[in-house]
Amino acid sequence: MKKASNFLGLGLVIALATTGCGGVGASKPTGAAPPPSDDQKVTLTVWSGFADRELDALQTVLDKFHSAHPNITIKSEGSQDDDKITQAIRGGNAPDLAISFTTDNIGQFCSSGSFQDLKPYLERDKVDLGKIPEATKDYTQFNGTRCAMPLLADVYGLYYNKAMFDAAGLTSPPKTMSELSDYARKLTQFNPDGSIKVAGFVPTPAFYENTIQTLAPQFGAKWQTPDGKSALSSDPGWKEMLKWQKDLTDFFGADKLTKFTAQSGQEYSADNDFQAGKIAMIMDGEYRTAFADREAKDLKYATAPFPVADSKPELYGTAYTTGTIAGIPKGAQNAGASWELLKYLTTDADALVSLSNSLKNVPTSTDALASPKLESTEQFKTFLDLFHGGKLANSPASPNGGAYLKIAQDFALKYVAGDSTDLDSGLQEVDKHIDDSAQLGK
Amino acid sequence: MSATTMPTRPAPPASTRTSPSGSAGVKHRRKLTVLAFMSPWIVGLTLFFLYPLLATSYYSLTNFDLISDPQWTGFSNYVFMFTKDPLMWKAIGNTAWLTVVITVGRVGFGLLAAMVLVKIKRGAGVFRTLFYLPALAPPVAASLAFVFILNPSTGPLNQFLGVFGIEGPLWFNDPAFAKPALSVMALWTSGTIIVILLASLLDVPGELYEAASLDGANAWHQFRHITLPSIAPVLMFSIVNSIIVGLQFFTEAVVAGSVASGSTATAGSSLTIGYPDNSTLTFPMWLYEQGFHQYHMGYASAMAIVLFAVSAVFTVILVRRMRSAGIGEEE
Amino acid sequence: MALSLTASKVSGGRQGQKFLSWVGLHAVAIALAIGFIAPILFIILTALMSDQQALTKDLWPTSWHWENFATVFEKAPLLQYFFNSLLYAGLATVFMLISSVPVAYALSRMKWRGRNTMFYLVIVAMMLPPQVVAVPMYVVWAQLGLTGTLWPLIIPNLFGDAFSIFLLRQFLITIPQSYSDSARVDGASEFGVLCRIILPMARPGIAAAALFSFLNTWNDYFGPILYTGENTGNWTLSLGLASFRSVHQVQWNLTMAATLLVMAPVILLFFFAQKQFIEGIKFSGVKG
Repeated sequence: MKKASNFLGLGLVIALATTGCGGVGASKPTGAAPPPSDDQKVTLTVWSGFADRELDALQTVLDKFHSAHPNITIKSEGSQDDDKITQAIRGGNAPDLAISFTTDNIGQFCSSGSFQDLKPYLERDKVDLGKIPEATKDYTQFNGTRCAMPLLADVYGLYYNKAMFDAAGLTSPPKTMSELSDYARKLTQFNPDGSIKVAGFVPTPAFYENTIQTLAPQFGAKWQTPDGKSALSSDPGWKEMLKWQKDLTDFFGADKLTKFTAQSGQEYSADNDFQAGKIAMIMDGEYRTAFADREAKDLKYATAPFPVADSKPELYGTAYTTGTIAGIPKGAQNAGASWELLKYLTTDADALVSLSNSLKNVPTSTDALASPKLESTEQFKTFLDLFHGGKLANSPASPNGGAYLKIAQDFALKYVAGDSTDLDSGLQEVDKHIDDSAQLGK
Repeated sequence: MSATTMPTRPAPPASTRTSPSGSAGVKHRRKLTVLAFMSPWIVGLTLFFLYPLLATSYYSLTNFDLISDPQWTGFSNYVFMFTKDPLMWKAIGNTAWLTVVITVGRVGFGLLAAMVLVKIKRGAGVFRTLFYLPALAPPVAASLAFVFILNPSTGPLNQFLGVFGIEGPLWFNDPAFAKPALSVMALWTSGTIIVILLASLLDVPGELYEAASLDGANAWHQFRHITLPSIAPVLMFSIVNSIIVGLQFFTEAVVAGSVASGSTATAGSSLTIGYPDNSTLTFPMWLYEQGFHQYHMGYASAMAIVLFAVSAVFTVILVRRMRSAGIGEEE
Repeated sequence: MALSLTASKVSGGRQGQKFLSWVGLHAVAIALAIGFIAPILFIILTALMSDQQALTKDLWPTSWHWENFATVFEKAPLLQYFFNSLLYAGLATVFMLISSVPVAYALSRMKWRGRNTMFYLVIVAMMLPPQVVAVPMYVVWAQLGLTGTLWPLIIPNLFGDAFSIFLLRQFLITIPQSYSDSARVDGASEFGVLCRIILPMARPGIAAAALFSFLNTWNDYFGPILYTGENTGNWTLSLGLASFRSVHQVQWNLTMAATLLVMAPVILLFFFAQKQFIEGIKFSGVKG
């Protein structure tokens, strides 16, 4: 009995092994794959980071594509982050179309070839890239290789609670960082036991959307020197930014602030601290308007450009931008069909406007931006204006993905919490670490 | 792989033993039977142990991203590891810290708990069940629970400390306390060691204690000269096993770090591992991050070789100890 | 199991001193028991709180929300995760038994040259951190097109699992040799001895090995995240739970409810097979 089962098992393994062969290293695509003919039935798998309401919004647009191309069926899977997308591509199980929420990994996607080069398609179909705004054009390519298209853009600005502003006698949004700190101090309320009841502004790096990459442009801080080396110790903007974060942190007390954030509501849930009235001002993307309007109907809030460094008032109107990007992974079964869908999602003005209206993201083509169908609220308009304003900044793409972001953010967290006092030597070490780790795999 | 292993005393020799010798045909048949019985393991050892070890050694000398073919780079991965990698020494330090503290903590605490249990007459079974139960908790579940229990502001532990006027630490949110928090959790799940040590304590012949107390030996002397030597093999194996478990420390650190960070990224994401300030970044986590997020698979292989070398040292100690105890030898 | 029969064998000493040490011992034991059980109580209480209350310092629910346990199933495909975990743990355990019992038998009850070396190799394999072989194994499974599934974790069990072999061998070696010898004299083949004599006697040992195999695979996180991280459709409970709070954007009360649901099967299993568990642990260690 036992022996017989063993051989059965062995047979199963061999069967599995032979049928499943050929995942990794699927043939390298050369040129543009033709779209499927009308009678060719194709199923496309689309992965995105959307969930719940946002995933439904994407589905609406995918359905429209399907009705125009009845032979192409689309399977949409949400909650897929970059780690999962990368793992699937390397493991040979790539989806036909990948929609990523961040641009952090564009360097890795393009340079490793895990997202296919779109040049042959763009040339074949004569796609006018001039309709894509510069900043978004930037973050969807790496070293001249365009391996992704911008789907929608995110622009970051200041959200503030108007009721709290009124109560504190504040009438207009802060424009400089010192104003922001002043406002934050005025708006903060403590409990009788000394813990924070309402925080004016939480300066902690990595809290909600206050990542260092979103904050850096407000201080004019640059990531790299012109020759591509890490510039955190040489660009004074970084020091100004970290000192500002630390000053405001010290006002609260680093421990008290940590205790406060440790009981914060989940960022994308109805318990988000800003929506729940536990934080008066936050930095966030334009999409927050959709969440706030839906989940916190009583919240009276307004939006404004995020304040800038006191030393650089001319920067006012600067905003960090990143966005949702989409590409055709290596190993996609039906690259031709994937491209048709990708083209539709990223260049069709109606598709972009429809997505933008439901997700409240900034559309990424000039046609869509100018479309009369584009809905906007007073709060959302701030972000459209920022996007038009031209003072957009993005973090640089690196073949190492977001490794440099983690190194910098780790230091920022440590410094702001008071665990590292020597800012100069700390930043020099960060530079060395970033430059060193970029050498791996070369 | 995480289970505990202990030495055994050799089984009593068989009372009757027929001569195993027989005709050549019988011998041949026996050999074939052994081969048939051992075949799954021989294949398994080759496919899942020897092959990957050789392959890892090869990959460790290459640049390999799973998309293009491996490129030979000699020892540059190893050089990078010890001279350039900004987080390597941090990861090694964290793993060493956790291995030492968790081993000492679990074995020490386990011994203490077992020595209490061994003296309890009524309800010992109930106590043993209660002590052991948390050891069954899936590590992911335990980690989530502890991040909640050790929440610096609302967690019950800090509230409990507050009753005594102690301002509790920030635990998983403070680089200085994240590893101790993980260690507290490791104690909570140390039931297996308690049960093993308890069983070995129960095996110490009672006459030894009686004789000793007649000689006027005090409790410490009894512990030192009777208990300890009797359970020494078991203790030794608990220690080696805890060390091996410590070297693999992964799940709890990944989950606790990512949950405590409050990030919305999937657990184990590149941005949250090691939170806070890489204080929970262990060597296996860094290997995983480099190999399966950054796809520096050659580099991850070099790290795997280092991990193998270190764990091999302890495995050799274990095997030598077993050999000298006669375990696995012909009875 | 005969715990209650044992006690300190120290005799002499006055009654009062004895009583004091009795009180001290029980006080320590009770304190430890509370320490072990309190976290589980906090999980249960939090799982029954409302959204808002779970974020506060309250330890006792002001209103009881039993529906939280139903809500978690709406928030995440827990049933699917459960099924995947069951598939992984169940098949791995069955496969392990099929392959490991004969190996353990050959290692414990047959004499052959190289047996000791083979046994030490089992120990070495048992002690090998899984991360050491992760890269090449991942490459192999990726070439076979099986990444994204649980098969890379299940299939190796067909070729013997080191810990299970070790545990089974420890058990089998305690069965007196005379049983098999007499069967052999009667002309039984080794296979016959294994099936008819040893298997029935080894039932407790096999049960313990199966339980530990099931427990280890059920609780496994590194394996599933490595191979199925990319494919949520094949996520196990461990994986789903680890990302439950972040991906599904939920609060602590639901997270704790899900945590309890993931712990529950293991704890139930323990109460049904407590004896096998405890015996198995002792066997992995002390008995010989």
